Amino acid sequence: MKRRLLLLVVFLTSVFSAGCAPQQSYYFGNYSQTLYASEKYQNEEAYVKHQQELERVIYESEVRNLPIPPGICAELGYINLKGNNSKEAIRLFQLEAQLYPESKHLMDRLIQSAKAKESPDASESDLSKSNDPVSQ
Amino acid sequence: MKKFAYLLFGILIIALMSACAPAMNTKLSEFPMMYQEQPLSILILPPMNESTAADAKEYYSTTIQEPLAFYGYYTFPYPVTADILKMEGIYDTELLVNLPLAKFKEYFGADAVLFTTIKKWDLSYMILASTLTVSIDCQLKSTTSDQTLWEYTGTVVVDLSGGNTGGGVGGLIAKAIVTAISTAMADYVPYARQANYRALSSLPYGKYHAQHNKDQQVQFIDQTPEETKTDAEPLTK
Repeated sequence: MKRRLLLLVVFLTSVFSAGCAPQQSYYFGNYSQTLYASEKYQNEEAYVKHQQELERVIYESEVRNLPIPPGICAELGYINLKGNNSKEAIRLFQLEAQLYPESKHLMDRLIQSAKAKESPDASESDLSKSNDPVSQ
Repeated sequence: MKKFAYLLFGILIIALMSACAPAMNTKLSEFPMMYQEQPLSILILPPMNESTAADAKEYYSTTIQEPLAFYGYYTFPYPVTADILKMEGIYDTELLVNLPLAKFKEYFGADAVLFTTIKKWDLSYMILASTLTVSIDCQLKSTTSDQTLWEYTGTVVVDLSGGNTGGGVGGLIAKAIVTAISTAMADYVPYARQANYRALSSLPYGKYHAQHNKDQQVQFIDQTPEETKTDAEPLTK
């Protein structure tokens, strides 16, 4: 009797506390942790790890049949843009805009600056300036 | 014996229920603007830091994007938008507080911007108790009307020196000392995440959540007025 009662209490407690948990609809992996590490250590190793984590979140989301979380493709695209990999950057920005129409405005802006970076007439010296997405 | 058990059970149930009882508010009555404006996309601004920890700003900023996404909003990737804002010369959100926010609509296409303020991010030592406190103040403002759509405070206080069962006093003191030595920021971040979830508990769900537009009558603990009273008063005077 006592044991059954205890079980009931445990069950009820878990039901009450389960109500507070947000609904799991995305796979974020260790996104927050690797982002935090790259803020904390600010070194190449941490940056690479964070980039790999972004790639893994996209891969795992597809495996789990979940939508890729907001901002992930855009962030990976931005890393590619900075790493002079404009083609991949454009692909990711387009994917983000397609997944989340709310982002289209900003993504179009970023795609423009990626295209500007891709075109050969951008001279080496003012690369950083001309591709600054803000100045355009 | 049996009677006692029933009594205990009853008390437990009441205790569980009453935890939700103090000053409840529905989401609709407290934040009607959220349902009127229906913001879909949120731009997270760099946090404002009122705590004594200089690094808190950078570390806290890494914790807020994920929970907002789980609440059904489109969140612009913080590392990207923060970088763009830096290039625009915006390092300090403090300067933006009373300015029109239409620019964020124009540039990013954001429906709303989230101002966060780190109120507390510290350890306090006392002879018998030392506590870690993380307190975050969140404010969501519309980029079309400049109005505050939603605001709430999340506070997490962790008692480092006791409250636990088991382990002698010696053990607890040792634990507190160990925690004090490793005052690394890493200790705060998990609690900052908890504080976020506490703050967001009153936020109406966004478009990508199943409960979107169905949570008007959901109740939450009305804690903000009291907290801001005790916190803000000495600051304003």
